[in-house]
Amino acid sequence: MLDKYWCLRRLHERRKDEVIVTCMSTAMPWAKLSDGPLDFASVDSAMGHAADFAYGLAIAQPDRRVIVLNGDGSMLMCLGTMVTMAQRPAPNFSMVICENGTYEVTGNQSVPGADKIDYAALALASGLMQATAVESENDFEQHLDALFAGKGPQVFIWKIAPTDEGAPRPSRPILERARSLRQALVGS
Amino acid sequence: MLSARKIVAVLKAQKISHVVGLPDNGSRCLFEVLITEETIEVIPVTREGEAMALAAGLYLGGARPLVLIQNTGFLETGDAFRGTVYNMGVPLVMLIGYRGYASMDPGAERVDTAATFLEPTLRAWGVPYGLMHTDDDLDCIDEAFATAERTSLPAAAILVNETV
Repeated sequence: MLDKYWCLRRLHERRKDEVIVTCMSTAMPWAKLSDGPLDFASVDSAMGHAADFAYGLAIAQPDRRVIVLNGDGSMLMCLGTMVTMAQRPAPNFSMVICENGTYEVTGNQSVPGADKIDYAALALASGLMQATAVESENDFEQHLDALFAGKGPQVFIWKIAPTDEGAPRPSRPILERARSLRQALVGS
Repeated sequence: MLSARKIVAVLKAQKISHVVGLPDNGSRCLFEVLITEETIEVIPVTREGEAMALAAGLYLGGARPLVLIQNTGFLETGDAFRGTVYNMGVPLVMLIGYRGYASMDPGAERVDTAATFLEPTLRAWGVPYGLMHTDDDLDCIDEAFATAERTSLPAAAILVNETV
């Protein structure tokens, strides 16, 4: 099992000017590492919709890599998004499914089917061309280049241990963060 | 009836870059014309909530999206609408089909609740909207764009009749 905080630190060390969209149990840990205009916490947003929101960003910004750190619970809420991604590929898009098997921020209740789901199989069955389970630090390092530069849409399933992150509370309201993101990307 | 080609002409004049949505019987002709339009990309989604989130991402990324869904789909979007286009202040125009409008006539055999819930729901969300019965009403679309721009919030133009 991977340590989420280690993964985020490695991502931060490697990251340059990519858009990083987080949600739920990655939102606050990521914000401690980076909280600029290109970091968008999908919090006080719509549950289950971090990935499709990030996908819209990727389509609108084809010259910029967009990476979303989606939760497994969030992914389950909107599985059809993988089909949407497959039928309209965005080469600049990478999705990480942080699979810890729980709804961490509400107290680590198990997500439905936690011991049965195969997200990589779901992604490939949706028509996505690449989906990779990442279970160790060696795996992580081996696939880090692809996360940032591989031809998307790509899916990486990080098998991470649950922690005890509480409900995320971003430092700024979502409207302000949205406008800041657009300003950074579009200049208006 | 509403002319799909005239609606597309309005969207082109508004410089729409992407139409995100799901077709229904009323909008299928509109989708068919849109798919042939080179300046607008149609992005089909698997459920209408995705359309809201995807459109929000498109807008923040600098694109100019429009959402095309049926009233049943708008009802489905609930939290997706709230958490993305509404909370993020996206001046999104939605074209929404009015399935079951005729069922609200007195004496209709069966009332379609997709119809009876639509306008109260739009009002509850504070979404300004105009009803388009014929091509004479197509200026509702430009009005929706003007309202959305002014308020930085979503607005709607409702397709009461089917597109042809």
